[in-house]
Amino acid sequence: MSQRIRIVIAVGIIALIGAAILGLEALRARPSPSAAAGPGPTVAPGAAPIYLDGRLIASFAPVDLEKLTKVSFTDAAEGKLQDGWRLSDILQLHVAEPLPDTAQITVSSSSRQKSVQLTWAEVAEPANMVMFDVSNRGTLKLVSTMSKLDDRDEWIQDADRIEIVTRIQ
Amino acid sequence: MKERYFTTFQLILLALFAALIVVAKIALKTPLQMSGHSGLFWMALIIIAGGLVPRPGATSLVGLTSGILAAFLGMGDFGALETLISYTAVGVGTDLALLLLRNLDNLAVCALAGVIGHLGKFIVKWALGAVTGAPLGFVALGLARSFLNYIIFGALGGLLAGLTLKALRRAGFFAYLEERR
Repeated sequence: MSQRIRIVIAVGIIALIGAAILGLEALRARPSPSAAAGPGPTVAPGAAPIYLDGRLIASFAPVDLEKLTKVSFTDAAEGKLQDGWRLSDILQLHVAEPLPDTAQITVSSSSRQKSVQLTWAEVAEPANMVMFDVSNRGTLKLVSTMSKLDDRDEWIQDADRIEIVTRIQ
Repeated sequence: MKERYFTTFQLILLALFAALIVVAKIALKTPLQMSGHSGLFWMALIIIAGGLVPRPGATSLVGLTSGILAAFLGMGDFGALETLISYTAVGVGTDLALLLLRNLDNLAVCALAGVIGHLGKFIVKWALGAVTGAPLGFVALGLARSFLNYIIFGALGGLLAGLTLKALRRAGFFAYLEERR
């Protein structure tokens, strides 16, 4: 076999890998029949749902984030640029009523089994930079300059759920 | 006496490259802020190792050894197992590419071997994400771009390795290696 044929085969393998991965992701992202629309908001596959006092009020997808202004900061732990969208901007886009400062906001990742609880006052404070960065795999990662979210072990990688509780008992 | 598959000298060389990969991952930070950019350094190192020890299994051994070292140092996002598997996948992917492409004198071959090896890591990261049920909503934003980044940095790492191997050949390093065998 000539070197040229070997190179063509290698290029074909790379194209095949790319097509297989992107194709499988597209299949995973297709809505299941059981997710057919009912009354009220539904969660599109891959979108992150937002719950307010236990009620699903919205979900957001990448296209929603493109409407928002991007912000960035360099984290102190690794000197890495965190670039994305403020959580407060996302919530203000989807939550109709103003939230009280004491409202508790929990951002969680089901695959990582991690979560963090913040108050609306913390989320809304611009200096805290509570924001989502897009991770290397294209999923959302919650980061901040706050001490409870400022290093890799504390970040909420693959975040896929936001819960807001305003009625604290 | 039966000839050993790798000589002691080759094993030392491979272990050295495995350690260099881990050091490169820790110490060499580029300000690119792009996924897969570290492939520039470690694909270069792993392909140079494959060029210096031209035996099937050499780069797999480098990948496995660097994976063990990195896992013990707590590197990676998904824990030790993911680190071990992804580093090993880079080595195995490069080995398979070198089995197909063979001639590392050709810069295009070096670049392609770099791409295929680097995609081994990408496949492991993607597969683990899919298996653990990581959300996929932002895939359209990130996955295709990540895939492209892995190809670009894998190719650049391979090219860097190809140029280094050429320089080593000109400097007579391969003749020195033959003497050490």
